[in-house]
Amino acid sequence: MKKIKYIVVVLSGILAINSCDTKDLELTNPNALSPETFFKTKNQVQSAVNACYANLQTRGLYARHIFFALDLMSQEAKGNPQLEGNKVPFSNFTFDASSDIVQFYWESCFLGISKANFVLDNEEKIQALSNSILTQEQKNKYLGEAHFLRAYYYFLLVPRFGDLPIYTTQTTEGLARSSKEEVYKLIEADFDFASKNLLSKSVEDKGRATREAAFAYLGKVLLYQKKYDEALVAFNKVTGFSLETNFYNNFMDETEHGPESIFEIEYDETLGVGDKWGSDTAGDGVAESTLRGQEYGNLGWFNVYPSDDLLDEYEAGDKRFGETFYVPGSVYNEGKNTMVAANFTSSAGIRRGGWKKYQNYYKRTDENLDSSINFKVMRYSDVLLMMAECENQRGGGVQSTAIGYINQVRFRADVPLLALTLTKDQVFTAIVHERKVELAGEQVRFDDIIRWGLASTELAGTGFQAGKSELWPIPNRETSSNPNIKPSDNNPGY
Amino acid sequence: MMLKLKFAIIVLLIISNQNVMAQSKTIQGVITDSSGYPLPGASVNVVGSKNNTATDFDGKYTLTGINATDKITYSFVGMVSQTITVGSQTVISVKLAESTQALNEVVVAYGTQKRTKVTGAISTVSAKDITAVPITNAESALQGRAAGVTVVNGAPGTSPTVTIRGLATMGNSAPLYVVDGVLVGNLSGLNPSDIESMSVLKDASTTALYGAKAFNGVIMVTTKKGKKGPGQITFSTYVGSQTVTKRYDVLNTQQYLQYASDLGSNLTARAAEFGNQTTDWQDEIFQTGIMQEYNLSFSNGTENATSRYSAGYLKQEGAVIGTGFERYSFRANNTQNLGKLSIGSNIGVSFNSTNPERAAGGRTLLEHAIKMAPYLPVYNANNLGGYQGPSAADGQDAENPVRVANHGYQEVNGVSIIGNIYAELEIYKGLKFRSQVSLDYYTSRDHTFIPSFRDGSAHFQDYSSTAEINSQGQTIVFDNSLNYKTTIADKHNVEVLGVITKIENKSRNVTAGSRNLISDEIDQLSLQNANLSSNNFETNNLGYIVRVNYDYDDKYLFAVSGRRDGSSRFGSNKRYGNFYSIALGWNIAKESFMENSIFSTLKLRGSIGTTGNDRIEDYRYSSNLATNYTYPFNGEAGIGTTSGSAPNPDLQWESKKDRNIGLDFGLFDEKFTGSIEYFNNKSSDILFAVPLAASTGSPGGTQIQNIADVNVNGYELTLGYNDRKGDFTWSATANFGKTKNEVVSLAPGVTSVLGGPSGRAGLESFSRLEVGQPLFYFWGYETNGIYQNQAEVDAVLAPGQTTFQPGDIRFVDRNGDRVINSDDKTNIGNPYPDFTYGLNLTAAYKKFDFNCFITGVSGNDVFNSNKFDLEAMQRLFNSGSNVMDRSIVVNGQVTNPSATLPRALGASQNWSAASERYVEDGSYTRLKNVTIGYTFSEDSFAKYFSRLRFYISGQNLITITDYSGLDPEIARVDANANSAGIDIGRYPQPKSVIFGLEVTF
Repeated sequence: MKKIKYIVVVLSGILAINSCDTKDLELTNPNALSPETFFKTKNQVQSAVNACYANLQTRGLYARHIFFALDLMSQEAKGNPQLEGNKVPFSNFTFDASSDIVQFYWESCFLGISKANFVLDNEEKIQALSNSILTQEQKNKYLGEAHFLRAYYYFLLVPRFGDLPIYTTQTTEGLARSSKEEVYKLIEADFDFASKNLLSKSVEDKGRATREAAFAYLGKVLLYQKKYDEALVAFNKVTGFSLETNFYNNFMDETEHGPESIFEIEYDETLGVGDKWGSDTAGDGVAESTLRGQEYGNLGWFNVYPSDDLLDEYEAGDKRFGETFYVPGSVYNEGKNTMVAANFTSSAGIRRGGWKKYQNYYKRTDENLDSSINFKVMRYSDVLLMMAECENQRGGGVQSTAIGYINQVRFRADVPLLALTLTKDQVFTAIVHERKVELAGEQVRFDDIIRWGLASTELAGTGFQAGKSELWPIPNRETSSNPNIKPSDNNPGY
Repeated sequence: MMLKLKFAIIVLLIISNQNVMAQSKTIQGVITDSSGYPLPGASVNVVGSKNNTATDFDGKYTLTGINATDKITYSFVGMVSQTITVGSQTVISVKLAESTQALNEVVVAYGTQKRTKVTGAISTVSAKDITAVPITNAESALQGRAAGVTVVNGAPGTSPTVTIRGLATMGNSAPLYVVDGVLVGNLSGLNPSDIESMSVLKDASTTALYGAKAFNGVIMVTTKKGKKGPGQITFSTYVGSQTVTKRYDVLNTQQYLQYASDLGSNLTARAAEFGNQTTDWQDEIFQTGIMQEYNLSFSNGTENATSRYSAGYLKQEGAVIGTGFERYSFRANNTQNLGKLSIGSNIGVSFNSTNPERAAGGRTLLEHAIKMAPYLPVYNANNLGGYQGPSAADGQDAENPVRVANHGYQEVNGVSIIGNIYAELEIYKGLKFRSQVSLDYYTSRDHTFIPSFRDGSAHFQDYSSTAEINSQGQTIVFDNSLNYKTTIADKHNVEVLGVITKIENKSRNVTAGSRNLISDEIDQLSLQNANLSSNNFETNNLGYIVRVNYDYDDKYLFAVSGRRDGSSRFGSNKRYGNFYSIALGWNIAKESFMENSIFSTLKLRGSIGTTGNDRIEDYRYSSNLATNYTYPFNGEAGIGTTSGSAPNPDLQWESKKDRNIGLDFGLFDEKFTGSIEYFNNKSSDILFAVPLAASTGSPGGTQIQNIADVNVNGYELTLGYNDRKGDFTWSATANFGKTKNEVVSLAPGVTSVLGGPSGRAGLESFSRLEVGQPLFYFWGYETNGIYQNQAEVDAVLAPGQTTFQPGDIRFVDRNGDRVINSDDKTNIGNPYPDFTYGLNLTAAYKKFDFNCFITGVSGNDVFNSNKFDLEAMQRLFNSGSNVMDRSIVVNGQVTNPSATLPRALGASQNWSAASERYVEDGSYTRLKNVTIGYTFSEDSFAKYFSRLRFYISGQNLITITDYSGLDPEIARVDANANSAGIDIGRYPQPKSVIFGLEVTF
């Protein structure tokens, strides 16, 4: 009997810890936040806005592929023999819808658009927050940043792909392409909203979109549509800026957010680079550096170097030449070292120059995979040249006014000022030249020569095919997953 | 006790002697297994009489009243019975050979079953087979041994990829492992020499009891228990070496300089800097690895208690530099009988240390070894870190694989505890209550340290880096069951089982990394450039199980089972699922009309049932926010938060309906045995990451839905034969499994989806799911030689295109639209074999024993990414020596029409397009193992050992294959089924030779 009692005690003990409770099946994820409880504090609203910026840093965009693809297409950059196979097609226009670079660019932008829509979809929640949590001005400014970034990503897309699906809310349903005019309408509206609600550069955090940036991009979008008068109105609201006395201040780490800088893509290696290789498109993780330093280097491992055609564009005495390129005899590493002819010789032959713009050699002896130098994607000199173009092109434009804008840029470069008597065509030719040398290697020229209709002549012999190469193909990844965009809906020639 | 028994026997002998006729006599002897170990409880029967006995603890028996004409049958569970005519003998000692028809008692879910009563599809592998080959992980024991089971090995310390009856899901295809009733994720914590048997449960009638975890089949592992009998110490050891002998044929320095010069790079001066020497980078990454293992066990058993204790040590240096595996394992298995109560425990602990195969820059060591410039030396004392790698002057950036593998280290240290404690009470005759608590616990510390280095301008790290992933997980299972077994009217055998089971699973991990800018001396984490994150996961399962087995006189078998399963992994409206199975069997051989037939076994059986697959990521049903975005504002990291991947609140398990028909047969008193199975399984609600339009910007780009259907069917054949002629015994077993899978549907409107890694930068993805095709088949272009001139180009392609020129690959324009695009792609390969097979031959002559084991797969294709390295000529890297014979184009005409490779640096599709040029037949037949052993027993050594065996054994000595890669048994790129069949150059299976020793005291 004693034994039985003992057995019963043991068995009931085992049963007790084994009692089944269906509540155990209801678990919540301890590792992640839930959307239902979000947008309750200022930090949460700001964090949702912060995420929208992260896609600018992806390898699909400014960490790697955007500068390769655009500078190779415009022939400002030439590939070294070791240039990777997926980048070569951009120098000879043989890319197709299977290009991973095209896909990464597409996805980086649309992931950013979706994040902006996440903020805008929750506008009601944000507006419902009490003023003690977030003032009306702050609410508007955060919403303005989301509008700005949605427009920014669409404006990266529309020159590359033309007609695009328009997403103004988060969804899992793929949409059909709308005409690029419709897309431009959305971009204009978004930049317009941003320009009315964002804070001024003088008070905003460095790195965030500002009212002035919104006006500058609004002007640029209008210029791209040849709405010169409206563009001028916007550009004229970009106030409080001046050209850097020292042109090279635009391209160094220590002089970021200077008087000429209107909008920058931020990188800061010291914040961490651990996830740099992890994401081509998502912008997640900590990846606060760009590969530009290494890829456009000269002394160590590099992939591209400036083309002879670009070097030849500079007038004698143009100070910008020495600030944009290294040549034998250039000093670097805070003046401690000098580049010699051997630095420009490789197994593939002799290069005439190497990139200096956005390189770290000014303070270092070598480049590596991590560069912290921000991209000044909107500089005041660009705005001046765009204003010159608007003034020159608009009905009733005053050429001397346009020349005045150009001369501001030329004055800093120490090149002879243009005579105020130039004709409209001459001014146009001057703008073509000036943008090429002022903004070399800044991913501006390809779009310029496309919208000016000069691509066929400027890119003759490169593989550029008029009627096809102006646009990239919609990537296979999209046409295979979006029932409303079929492979047959692709751009002409793809 | 013993004395008393012996005395009683003697008394009985005397009495019986007086009562029988003078010519009858007494027979004595010892019954042992083939290795000389005594078998207690073996039965000894005089044929055609009721005169029988059983052996005692020492395997001894005594049988009286025997005539010279009598025949005595000696039998024991799991052994081949022997019948001997007495004649003039008075001492008959018998060695029983292990039965090839595996075990007569088969381990099934929640219990064991007599082989004759099994109605489902089960393959078993015995301890003998498991230890016949020096394997380091238990999963490998199934390779070639169990029909329909595919095993692919990897680097030391990695768990092999095991697939049962082909791929039926796009997600996790690993089977469920159950060790002594403990559910475990893999068998890495288990010392193979502790295993008594493995049962592979293949159809729903055997697996449905595991419900939502049984989808991919179940592997039941039973560890060795103490045997009744005197205490016994066994020691075994082996030492050996393993090597990889095959190499890819690449350019030497002289050839490389020529090739580089053809590609526009003059490297003559650069090579001269290093003395124009040639480094064989492949030789540098392979080594002769020494492997050694020591196992010690003690087994003891009395009438009421058994125990077995074991300890093992394994150390394996890989055949690739920097790889290795070390394991200390301990196990204690005990049983206690206290009348109606029996209590027991099985507990194993192991400590593992693995040095994994290293990789860098997304390239395997082998890819680097192929691509490295041959004139560069391995070491350079002038460089930080001491290695030589490429600089800008070399025009390429393959990494020094020796530096990647040996500069710093990565070590994964783990502890694994697998154990259970149970109590079983016989409440009433035949009615048993059993309660069991099981634990599977692991910790893992994955530590990587890389000191600073600069081996050239292409690769350097100006700081030392440390990274660590600490993870810990536990699964606790509570099982309570009632089992009632009875026989009604001598013929109706009924067994009813009811189980309530609860599974609690928790895991957590902490990931950290840091850099040290000032020293390489410290290999630990610090706050410099630190990053840190942690995660917690929890899942719970609840299961209610019922099983009823009925048979009429062992002739007509009927089994039905059901399980209701609840899982926290799924949304509230899809949390519970029901699974069932029904099986029928007919033991034809037991029918009276079969009485005098040659068949000793003839059984027809069939089953149908359902199982589920709940192995998806935790919490996938709920919508979450991702907070892992960072962007600098004012020079500080701004944390970004946005919506996570698209949730699906209706998520539930995948389900599968299995149908199985089998026929078991045994002829000539089980000398010749075999079984044939046919199965047809339909998986539905397969979790499929439905691709969302990229432009929707949904993170991850997909939404998991239970939407796809897959069909798998096939058949299996197992044959065994054993015979003995005097001192010579031999046996042969063969198995053969054929499977075929096909995607029946994906999602509405989705007929195909591309995914998976291509294995190489610049090469497009090619693993594809498509309705009507096998899972993850290779999708790419067919090719038809090289365009010799422009006329040939224009004959295929529309005029005006500039992409393809003479010297480029002529891709087949399948649709004839004169454009080469994805519409021209087709099925260029299937990564899964049509069939797998194994042949095991054993023989023993006197004291020699011999084992030969052949295994193979047939009909699978391999996408050889290394061939891409060798032949793609995408840009300058070292390449295969055949690039010297590539197409040379002069004035638009190929001057060497016999060339099979295109021109270098040609159309980008030459290298970027997945084509049949990289696909090869992966079939192989491999001499997996050959062993010759010699046993000393019962002679001059007997006073020291009861048994002493030496053997020499070779593994993978001969491989017959057309595959050009280093090894046709290719390690997976990752755990995903979509990377199957892609050879990115990971750890090839080495050849090894070992010397071993087994001693029983």
